[in-house]
Amino acid sequence: MALNTDRIGHTYPPVTYDVSRAKIREYAAALGETDPRYSSDGDDCVAPPTFAACFTIMQGAEAMLGDDELGAHFNLVHGSQGYEWGERALRPGDRLHLTTRIADIVVRRGNELLTLEVDCRFADTDERAVLSTSMLVLLGSAPTDDPRPCATEGA
Amino acid sequence: MATMDLTDVAAGDELPVLAQTATLETSVAYAGASTDLNPLHYDADVAADISPTGGIIAHGMYSMGLVSRLVTDWAGGPEHLAALDVRFTRPWPLGTEATFGGTVKEVGEDTVTVSLWGRDADGKAMLRGSASLRR
Repeated sequence: MALNTDRIGHTYPPVTYDVSRAKIREYAAALGETDPRYSSDGDDCVAPPTFAACFTIMQGAEAMLGDDELGAHFNLVHGSQGYEWGERALRPGDRLHLTTRIADIVVRRGNELLTLEVDCRFADTDERAVLSTSMLVLLGSAPTDDPRPCATEGA
Repeated sequence: MATMDLTDVAAGDELPVLAQTATLETSVAYAGASTDLNPLHYDADVAADISPTGGIIAHGMYSMGLVSRLVTDWAGGPEHLAALDVRFTRPWPLGTEATFGGTVKEVGEDTVTVSLWGRDADGKAMLRGSASLRR
């Protein structure tokens, strides 16, 4: 089944994510990080940059798979990922608001490339913490005789 | 804070190479830490059905996280990283070693741009990317 391209541009309702010291420590340990700030008990504790994976990847997946009108499926691979960080580091106790948007759907060689953006902002200032851009390759579901233009970029 | 602050870098400089073997332990740890519990990354029966290799493969985000570690260690801290973009070009089977590295492409007034690579045990490109760093 092909994705519903009418959903391009659709924005899902925002959700809240609370940053915890324990989760920062767990994430940094899984990557073998050695910067002592990641495991600090003090005010200098910050999250490693790709800690953003903890609240962007599954958030995007849940929004996508919970959208009955989109027609997404599980037979997919992660094609590419981008993050842009603001200057303010993520610290324990920070609250974020996450807004997921379907940025694009294009067809390439029988697959559909779905691009999801997750805009993550500090709840207290509305300043951007990080913007996540995920391109997922949904395998084999592209319509035949598709009139849409093919993507030039992909997995 | 930062130990180096990117004051003494030039185009063409090579970043140190990071080598890592993906194992069931690293994969389960990353699944739990990141909350990405897709069984493709730890369940051999599921992987046999859906994996592009027929076996368990590491999370793409695990390889991106290692690249981030490589870049931020080199740059002197996470506060330098403004943007990171990667493409996952080949799966990383558990039990195999991958290597990651990078090259300084451009040194500007406020920004340093680095190109990044990841290679599988056969030396084939597994990941390609770039990072933008604040000086």
